[in-house]
Amino acid sequence: MITASKFLLLLVLFFSLYPTQAQQITVRGTVKDNFDIPLLGANILIEGTRRGTATDSDGVYQILAAEGERLVISYLGFISQRIIAGSGDTFDVILQPGNDLEEVIVIGYGTSSRKALTDNVAPINSEQIKEIPVASVQGALVGKAAGVQVTQVGGRAEGGFKIRVRGVATISGNQEPLYVLDGVPLSKSDVSINESPINDLVSLNPADIASIDILKDASAAAIYGSRGTNGVVLITTKSGQQGKTRFSFNSAYGWSEASNKRDWLNTSEYVELYTEAALNSGFTEDDAASYFNLYAQDEADWREGRVDTDWQDLALVSGSVKDINFSVSGGDEKTTLFLSTGYNNTNGIIRGNTLERYSLRVNMDHKANDWLTLGLNSNLSKTQLSRIANDFDFANPMQSIAQIPFTRPYSDDGITPNTSTLYFNFLMNEFNGEHESNIWRAFAKLYTQIDFTRNLYLRTEFGYDFTTQLEERFFGSLTQEASTNGFGDALDDKEENFVINNFIQYQFAREKWQLEATLGMSYEELLVKSVFVEGRDFPSDQLRKLVSAGEITGGGTLEQTVSLVSYFARANATLFDRWLLKASIRVDGSSRFGADSKYGTFPAASLGWLASNEPFLQDNKAISNLKLRANWGITGNANTNPFASRTEFSTTIYDNEAGFFLNRLGDPELSWEKTEQFNIGLDLGIFNNRLNASFDYYDKYTDGLLNEVPIPATNGIRSVVRNIAEIQNTGFEWVLDATNISAKNFSWNMTLNLAFNSNEVKVLPDGADISRGTRIVREGETVASFYLVEYAGVDPDNGDALFYLNTELPDGSLDRSTTNDFNAASRRVLGNPFPDVIGGFTNSFRYHGIDFSFTFQGEWGAQLYNGGGIYQSTNADFFDNQTRDQLNRWQQPGDITNVPQARLFGANGSQRSSRYLEDSDFIRLRNLTLGYTLPFGITERIGMDRIRFYFTGVNLLTITDYSGWDPESTADSTQLNSASSGFVFYSPPQARTLTFGINLDF
Amino acid sequence: MRAANWKIIVVFLLSLSLGCDENLNTQPTDTLTPEQLLEDPINLDKTLIGAYAVAESLQGEYQTMTELLANEADLAYRGLFPELFELDRKIVTAGNSFIRFFWFQSYASINLCNIVLDNLDLEEDGDIRAQLEGEAKFLRALQYFEMVRFFALPFEVNAANSQLGLPLVLDGVTDLSEVTYPGRSNVDEVYSQVIADLQDAYAMLPDNNGNRADRYAALAILARVYLQQGDFQAARDAAHAVLLNSGHTLAPNLISAFNNESDGVEDIFAVQVTTQSGRNNFNLFWATFEFGGRYQTAEITIEPPFFEIFDSPDDRAEFFYEGNGTTVTSKWQERFANVPFIRISEMHLIRAECNFREGTSLGFSSEDEINALRLRSGADPIVGITLEDILNERYKELAFEGQRLHDAKRLKEDIAGIAYDADQLVMPIPQDEIEVNPNLEQNPGYNN
Repeated sequence: MITASKFLLLLVLFFSLYPTQAQQITVRGTVKDNFDIPLLGANILIEGTRRGTATDSDGVYQILAAEGERLVISYLGFISQRIIAGSGDTFDVILQPGNDLEEVIVIGYGTSSRKALTDNVAPINSEQIKEIPVASVQGALVGKAAGVQVTQVGGRAEGGFKIRVRGVATISGNQEPLYVLDGVPLSKSDVSINESPINDLVSLNPADIASIDILKDASAAAIYGSRGTNGVVLITTKSGQQGKTRFSFNSAYGWSEASNKRDWLNTSEYVELYTEAALNSGFTEDDAASYFNLYAQDEADWREGRVDTDWQDLALVSGSVKDINFSVSGGDEKTTLFLSTGYNNTNGIIRGNTLERYSLRVNMDHKANDWLTLGLNSNLSKTQLSRIANDFDFANPMQSIAQIPFTRPYSDDGITPNTSTLYFNFLMNEFNGEHESNIWRAFAKLYTQIDFTRNLYLRTEFGYDFTTQLEERFFGSLTQEASTNGFGDALDDKEENFVINNFIQYQFAREKWQLEATLGMSYEELLVKSVFVEGRDFPSDQLRKLVSAGEITGGGTLEQTVSLVSYFARANATLFDRWLLKASIRVDGSSRFGADSKYGTFPAASLGWLASNEPFLQDNKAISNLKLRANWGITGNANTNPFASRTEFSTTIYDNEAGFFLNRLGDPELSWEKTEQFNIGLDLGIFNNRLNASFDYYDKYTDGLLNEVPIPATNGIRSVVRNIAEIQNTGFEWVLDATNISAKNFSWNMTLNLAFNSNEVKVLPDGADISRGTRIVREGETVASFYLVEYAGVDPDNGDALFYLNTELPDGSLDRSTTNDFNAASRRVLGNPFPDVIGGFTNSFRYHGIDFSFTFQGEWGAQLYNGGGIYQSTNADFFDNQTRDQLNRWQQPGDITNVPQARLFGANGSQRSSRYLEDSDFIRLRNLTLGYTLPFGITERIGMDRIRFYFTGVNLLTITDYSGWDPESTADSTQLNSASSGFVFYSPPQARTLTFGINLDF
Repeated sequence: MRAANWKIIVVFLLSLSLGCDENLNTQPTDTLTPEQLLEDPINLDKTLIGAYAVAESLQGEYQTMTELLANEADLAYRGLFPELFELDRKIVTAGNSFIRFFWFQSYASINLCNIVLDNLDLEEDGDIRAQLEGEAKFLRALQYFEMVRFFALPFEVNAANSQLGLPLVLDGVTDLSEVTYPGRSNVDEVYSQVIADLQDAYAMLPDNNGNRADRYAALAILARVYLQQGDFQAARDAAHAVLLNSGHTLAPNLISAFNNESDGVEDIFAVQVTTQSGRNNFNLFWATFEFGGRYQTAEITIEPPFFEIFDSPDDRAEFFYEGNGTTVTSKWQERFANVPFIRISEMHLIRAECNFREGTSLGFSSEDEINALRLRSGADPIVGITLEDILNERYKELAFEGQRLHDAKRLKEDIAGIAYDADQLVMPIPQDEIEVNPNLEQNPGYNN
């Protein structure tokens, strides 16, 4: 470290000797779009420097530049233009919409432009994510970036997201990408008292975001070294714009409902099916009646169908969204400021689930003098959640669909939930309990940037991210905790993440070549402290805080520190405007690993060839841009338990005495998961970049996979985390971006992305399968493939469920004969939860003041296993209400159906088999927006810059053969582990939301 | 001046990043390594506490599984766990997660016992060392005994008993290098180990060991083991010694034998449950919602055929309550009460049965002994007692406590028309375990 610091210092001193000089003139003008509307905040930058300015609300700019210097004028979503200072002093510019090669792309410890980029980075700008009134940042990314699968785990308002960049490259490690907010890597751990994850970014107001850049390939992500394998999501918040102070007010109100409901038996169908099932199992009609009477308040309730409760309608309710944002942006040449405050109130579609968020942001930049710039990005937020039980809990509202339709939801008073239900009545938790979570989050980043010369600067960033999350639950004397006389618990978790980044950057431009070099270090420290307490015996159901508990039955404190020291260097060069070279290296030292493997080195290199700048293409009218790229890099995945390499005893209690048990057998040689990725790509722009296409092929090979390697449980431990397997992901990505029409008063843009990924386990120790439950990791197969007995339908002669034997015959083929004995059949690999193809298709239109856009997303080739199927669709095996398709049961010899004969307690096909495995292919209209902006002439008269009304719909349409609630919903509390991906368990569908809103700028 | 300024700042900023490397050595705050654990002999005792906490044979779920497997019509399973349904219907699959959990937790507890036994030398005090050894062997034997009865074919009297038993692991594992892939010892070897451990435990444990196992707990389990082996003489003598010396006596009435927050006079060994620790899964499965179960009816209810066994007025026919129209046992009505694991009444039943079979009357005649038990529950005495009377008495007294399956197997009785030694009544080695350990042979009848 000391040596590295000294080295940095020397470098600074060396480059500071380089002479500086300037001979300047004033350049001024206006910038307008193709609708002749002045563009506010268009950037004017002097090429090769960081000197620049922006237009005011009339589109006017003014800047000092040396004669001969080139000015780049750019605006998001428009093609940049260049002018040369000195050839005149007024430049009025009209920008055309399109895919801009000069667009600034954040790459981590610096920025690049689309033109200079040799890596695969998916930039998503605020235009693409604005006005989608989702409570979460990630929701806006769905379908927007090639090869990036964004899925909300379920329909909970605060629910976690899964983001998978180019397939899954780990088995038991974390699969989530690294989030970096304004240069500060976020490392908040997921803490949730009931294991249903809360979205890490729930505290962030999506309206504050200027851009999101996703580093996809290894060459891009390698600058984040040990955390780069799953991709890096760089989030940049808005900063103030010079010129007139601009106020912006956005308000939206909307309604939501479940995007899908399933069909369940009603009372008469239930009675019919279960009476038949009882008779088929040797019971009498009287037996069936006595069973029914157990759960019906009155015999007439089921016999005459007097009660017909739709439990699904009780669980999935109509929700609402309210979203208000107010922001101020302004400043002068020295200081710019962005202030914003936001409020979001989401009433979820699941009964009892609400989210309320208040946020306040101050972003500030100040140029103290000609060599010192400093600034602050800060955010305060409070998020208040009413939560519901996790998917696996009996009190999960979705599990109420198992209740019998002739059971009344409420008792006679109509308020108190009925307790004589088949399973615990979840309505009781709303009536007699609560689950609230409060999250306070403070984020601040302070930076200073010192320009030693025009070409060399040092940037120092201090980041501090503090979260305190208090979750409190109370279960009253009528809930499932009745026998405790009231039960409460609370978890107070405090996490602080402290980050220092120090880096120097050197930029040098000559006519024939440009060079940019970055060298730096960073230190990060995450400290987690939490307190837990639980108690019982409350004197009254009105007193719900633990202070009233008669007995405190448990409690504890926990502490954990994780630290990371890193050094990194990067150099980019552009030669002859044609050749792009980049190399980077990062060295990470982590407290997560044992003494022998604390440090890991992550190099990357890339090469680009701008063929369109070659003489033979320069004059080609059709091809405006042609770039070939190739890159290579190594990244890591360090997101494992910090002490996974240690053998550890943890504490437990027996008879109120503390004892020890062996919690983990550690592998002292445990080290980083390393992924080597090779990417080649091609960017093509034709007709002045009106049509852009990108094509990428990647080969992502992960070595030393951290894996829970099972060992015989006879050793007292079931598995050991080791670096053991190798996985390969290969794929193609396609992006097509076209400005189909760009006429005065009418434009049409279209973006299509498609990604194909194939995942294969290459090497396992001794080639041996690793299987657990319904999953297998096997060489040559996709990781976490479904490993199940194969359901073969129904024997038409007797209604027995059949299974394929699938035992191996002497000649190596499979015995495809069927059996009704589940235990006689062998399991086979029958699918996997990862899609082969994902894609997104966005169109946006503008006609005069009207704007219209929509995005479709789709996924193909994955399967989902419904863990609830053995209760929901078992031809009346037990009393759980059944999906309506179970009425197609076998009834008499000769019936051809897929649903076996109904047999109460008969286990006729109710085992865990491929009967509950389904393709999850789908196409979804993710969002659709229609807006109208009043003509500038009208708005100007009432002192406004812009007035826009809009309508947005999210998840309006889903086209799928999948029979479950939602092809994107999976079980919440298992989401982080790839070994259990694609497992569905009473997982609620996502919301369909309709919103109306208004934008006012003044 | 300006140059001086920024140089100072550069030095200041860079100095902030010095010395970070030392911060990479973070330590956990809530765990110990084996080296740390074994620095202090007191931790051997703490490890034993861990072994109690983990032992799945003690928690009631295992006993519930055996009761459902032995069920013909006396019980109704009304819960929703397919794992338990499989047992009730005798169509168990090798992926049954309850069975897997039982296997895993048992070996986790056995490993802790083995770790204590491997490190006894740490303890210098001979009395404490003997107690540690005795208790560790008691817990190890108890769990091997329960597992061998569940996962292997029954012990056959006067036979070699070379049928597949269990992997017998007798050395602790605290390091990756100690991991083994054991095959299955035969049933005879497992029983021999169980008996040797229990005999050692009986010799080493104190007369009274607080709430934990004492020497009579070891002897009482030994009586169970001998009975299972059909060694009636040894069973009788062991039971007799417990009755004579342990100081435990029958509780004055049935009610006071159950749902006690601290051990009752009848409890030779009971599992300690408090509001803060211990699990009472008997309560979870056999009580109604109101008392700690999951449903308005208990998950397992008692059905009319059970009551046909009673031949006279009997408190044991009344020890039930009503749950939404069903009949629920009162044995585990209190969620945080201790769970009797072996009661003195069982010793009476063993002695009476063995006296009858051997034609002896050690302590009491079997008729007097059985009538004393009946008297406690207000039942009329029997005159001219038969073996069937004794076995019926055994069922009435120990109903639902996890003895039914093992009695059926030693008495070679069919269960629901299935032969006592049929494949269906021998539980599968968990599927995961078979896959990871090539030396382990699966029981017949489980192919996937």
